[in-house]
Amino acid sequence: MATIVVVDDESLITDFLSFFLKAEGYIVHVARDGRSALELIREVRPDVVVTDFMMPAMSGFELAQALRATPQLAHIPVVLASAAQGATAKLRAELFAAVLDKPYAPARLLALLRELTQASGTAPDDTHEP
Amino acid sequence: MNQTLTRLTSHVPGLDTILGGGLIAGSSYIIQGRPGAGKTILANQIAFEQARQGAKILYITLLAESHDRLFQSLSTLDFYEAERVGKDITYLSLFRTLRLEGLSALVDVLRAELARQGTSMLILDGLLNARESTHSTLDVKNFVAELQGHAAFSGCTVLFLTSARIDDSSPEHTMVDGVLQLDEELLGSRTVRRMRVAKSRGSASLGGLHHYAIHDGGIVVYPRLEALFARPSKADHAPDNRVLSGVHDLDARIGGGLPASSATAVVGPGGSGKTSFGLNFLRLATPEKPALHFGFYETPARLASKARALDVDLDALVASGALSLIWNPLTENIVDALAYQLLDAVQARRVDRLVIDGLAGFARATVDEHRLIEFLAALTNQLRAIDVTTVCTWETRELSAPALNAAPPEALSLFDNVIGMQLDEADGMIYQGMKVIKVRDSAFTPAVTKLIIPNSTAGGVVDLSLPTASGDANRS
Repeated sequence: MATIVVVDDESLITDFLSFFLKAEGYIVHVARDGRSALELIREVRPDVVVTDFMMPAMSGFELAQALRATPQLAHIPVVLASAAQGATAKLRAELFAAVLDKPYAPARLLALLRELTQASGTAPDDTHEP
Repeated sequence: MNQTLTRLTSHVPGLDTILGGGLIAGSSYIIQGRPGAGKTILANQIAFEQARQGAKILYITLLAESHDRLFQSLSTLDFYEAERVGKDITYLSLFRTLRLEGLSALVDVLRAELARQGTSMLILDGLLNARESTHSTLDVKNFVAELQGHAAFSGCTVLFLTSARIDDSSPEHTMVDGVLQLDEELLGSRTVRRMRVAKSRGSASLGGLHHYAIHDGGIVVYPRLEALFARPSKADHAPDNRVLSGVHDLDARIGGGLPASSATAVVGPGGSGKTSFGLNFLRLATPEKPALHFGFYETPARLASKARALDVDLDALVASGALSLIWNPLTENIVDALAYQLLDAVQARRVDRLVIDGLAGFARATVDEHRLIEFLAALTNQLRAIDVTTVCTWETRELSAPALNAAPPEALSLFDNVIGMQLDEADGMIYQGMKVIKVRDSAFTPAVTKLIIPNSTAGGVVDLSLPTASGDANRS
């Protein structure tokens, strides 16, 4: 079973994604800023990280950079979901597996997660179509 | 003392004026108003302008509303620049921190973020939530005090946005440097938005309620005209030269014309020739001494066609640059917005003669009718000071003493000159007759003058000897 870490300062978003991705068969962990996410990622070693950009303590950008700089964590794909920084993030494409512009369709995130977890062989068994 | 205060230029039209020069850098403000009043728009408008001036803004939401919804609604406004979000303006949600860990945890996060982001302006959206999360007003007081102290030390300006009704004695109100109240209310069937500087520590603000509007460009504040122009911007030098009214007989009777830089009220019932008097006055405009017609009734096209019937070629005057036309339908207008539109046009085009047709356009737009006299006093004083000779039409039921007095009695005192218009009959003809009721500093011949427009074949004179559709009933 694949593990996802969702990072966002907006609890509306973490609450929704947590509920939604659990229902899709993922194990979901939540952090509300980049710094606590980094600790969480070290601990749970997720298959994919879905992060916001603007957050307290450490931004999504800084989080992705920190992960790339840590050999044991550098392989974890990071999906950036941002309302306003999509264009900026695309300039640093090497940091992110994908960039989603908020608001995005949940099905789009699901398709992306399936693709990224299948690559690592940890996609949820229950693969129903979106 | 005051000269050492650094003011922020908001570029929100009118806002800095009512704040006595602008927000004071390093001070804290409450922006209060019910949902929908425009607090978030105002705060973001200020934030984006500060960002354009090189500031770093931290925008904290304590509300359960998602940031992408906020950006969606802001993106419809002209001031919003997506590329500044995340770079110059950082939006963080601390709703959960506040809810789960309380105010002291919130202060800790904010302190860390202010330092991390190098913030020069902090905006806290949802102070009401901050108050609800605690049972003690002491905690809120401490929260505001700690944040304010920290921000002031680093020269950071703080805006607290709240939809809570904050009374004068609440701890927040006593602690902050300024309180701006945004009020949206229903008066009759129309929505009226007004803003008030309820507190302004250490600086004189423009008191009372000021209308504001939310346009595509954001918020525009219209400082109350009589407060801003309590005294005209320049000294009035009351010149003694005369400006031709366009009616020879009248000019001859009143000493050569209307006194320059004076305000004339042309009063009378509908159809008595007030608009015609105005059009005839405009006829004498030249590109060097241009005129403006500021009307509420006829559209420019209909006004031109009415003028054509009087042999006044409005289109040619407009084409030559001698005349401009501004028309505002008599619908829902903001009275101060009309005044600024008028004054701006007068100054931009260096207008010499002005016709306002008619004063009802301002009277109808004043939602607070008690303002009308003060408003008209400020407007006419300012027009005199900037050397405009003004003719205003004012419709009364009839031209009789009781009807004139039915208009606010102080109103006519605001005008240097008053000319009454009425339909008179002589030799089987109806004509538009003028009575001079007063002319500033002049003797005048007390007689009825016919409104005769030179070169005009119609001339506002109706020949009753011609058969009309209503037969001879009109002679009874």
